[in-house]
Amino acid sequence: MDASRADALPVRYAGLDDIVNRVPVSVVWEITLACDLACSHCGSRAGTRRRDELTTAEALDLVEQIAELEARDVGLIGGEAYLRKDWLEIIAAIRAAGMRCDLQTGGRNLTEERVAKAAAAGLCGVGISLDGIGATHDKLRGVLGSYDLALAALRRVRAHGLSAAVNSQINAYTLPQLRELMDVIIDAGATNWQLAITTAMGNAADHPDMLLQPWQMLEVMPLLAELAVEGRERGLFLQPASNIGYYGPYESVIRNVLDPEIYFHGCNAGDTVMGIEADGTIKSCPGLGSAYAGGNVRETRLRDIWEKSEVMAFNRRRTVDDLWGFCRTCYYAETCMAGCTWTSHALMGRAGNNPMCHHRALEMDRQGLRERLVKVKDAPGRSFDHGEFEIVVEPVPGRVADRIVANA
Amino acid sequence: MPESGRIPVPLRLCRACRRFVRLDDREDCAFCGADLDAADAEHEENVAEMRRAAQALRDALAERG
Repeated sequence: MDASRADALPVRYAGLDDIVNRVPVSVVWEITLACDLACSHCGSRAGTRRRDELTTAEALDLVEQIAELEARDVGLIGGEAYLRKDWLEIIAAIRAAGMRCDLQTGGRNLTEERVAKAAAAGLCGVGISLDGIGATHDKLRGVLGSYDLALAALRRVRAHGLSAAVNSQINAYTLPQLRELMDVIIDAGATNWQLAITTAMGNAADHPDMLLQPWQMLEVMPLLAELAVEGRERGLFLQPASNIGYYGPYESVIRNVLDPEIYFHGCNAGDTVMGIEADGTIKSCPGLGSAYAGGNVRETRLRDIWEKSEVMAFNRRRTVDDLWGFCRTCYYAETCMAGCTWTSHALMGRAGNNPMCHHRALEMDRQGLRERLVKVKDAPGRSFDHGEFEIVVEPVPGRVADRIVANA
Repeated sequence: MPESGRIPVPLRLCRACRRFVRLDDREDCAFCGADLDAADAEHEENVAEMRRAAQALRDALAERG
């Protein structure tokens, strides 16, 4: 890769060297579970702080340990990160250690004073969550008026010269409003739009009506491709999460980072991505549950967890033989390895078979079939928990299937 | 030195249908049947033509001052 292109890429972009050296390029750190919103899709079921969150001294020590691993970007999340009293101290320490620091927030109480202090502490950018327009957002975020407050926060961030991004959930309620939402956020000054499909974890597992069905990928992907092209022309860069894909005719359009030949190359949890919970629990991805926790920095040095934990090594141990269902014999199995681990585990109870896939939906559609998820087990009600779904294969309404697949 | 991460298995973009194909599909696209090398060559020609047109436009604008 030439130097000018490398300079132009987002710091969170992980290249081959990062994978080979297993650099945790992007560290996503939940610094508190306290939250001022009540989101119906929240994976961590945030609200009140964890009983045993890291002290300031422990958090600052952790910043040094993250820097030792040569991480480039630390994203602060919650809960709501600004509800932690020492959040500015943590931001300043991250910047002093030479890493980029961003804040992901619902923005309800991201006041002028908070933005100014965060900017002074060295915060680089803010991603504001906006899930649909007006009442849709308010309903999903559980607070009346939170849409207007989030938009005001976005404008405030922009006015302070910080990089302004928006995070949006794609689900049954927001999908019809994505185009209108794009106009709104461009108007408010956003330059990046991170999109993720709502995953059936935590509170979202309790709201199956909110979740997209696998066959809806046939609608999602062409729409995202259209928005990506239009957004780029209007100064908005679309960033699909790892749970959006995979490999259909729009892959190169939606994942294009200065290169149309970039494609999804499998889950990167534990290879170039690290998640941290507020009590010091280290995971290979911020979305994954406790089954994927590699250790806690109160007991073990971060480097030892990152380099030696077998629990966090699942990605580099996974082979095609570990896949099941449609993914086991998929054309893309060796590259994709069943896509986003978080999504497949939350839906199916274990990784290795991911129904939320465009290629899969296209293959089903070619046979006159589609897949529908039916919830068969409730989530127990804990942070980062999940229920379980079964896949029903059925004919596309109005069409005659070539054959009925017994079980996908 | 940490153990290496999982090295992605490479794919190739079919310039005819915009789908990614496996490298062991050496000749024809598994999805649209296009000759992959021929589609690449045509794409390169189109890119070169676009670059020539863009340069001609820049030159014309420069001449007008």
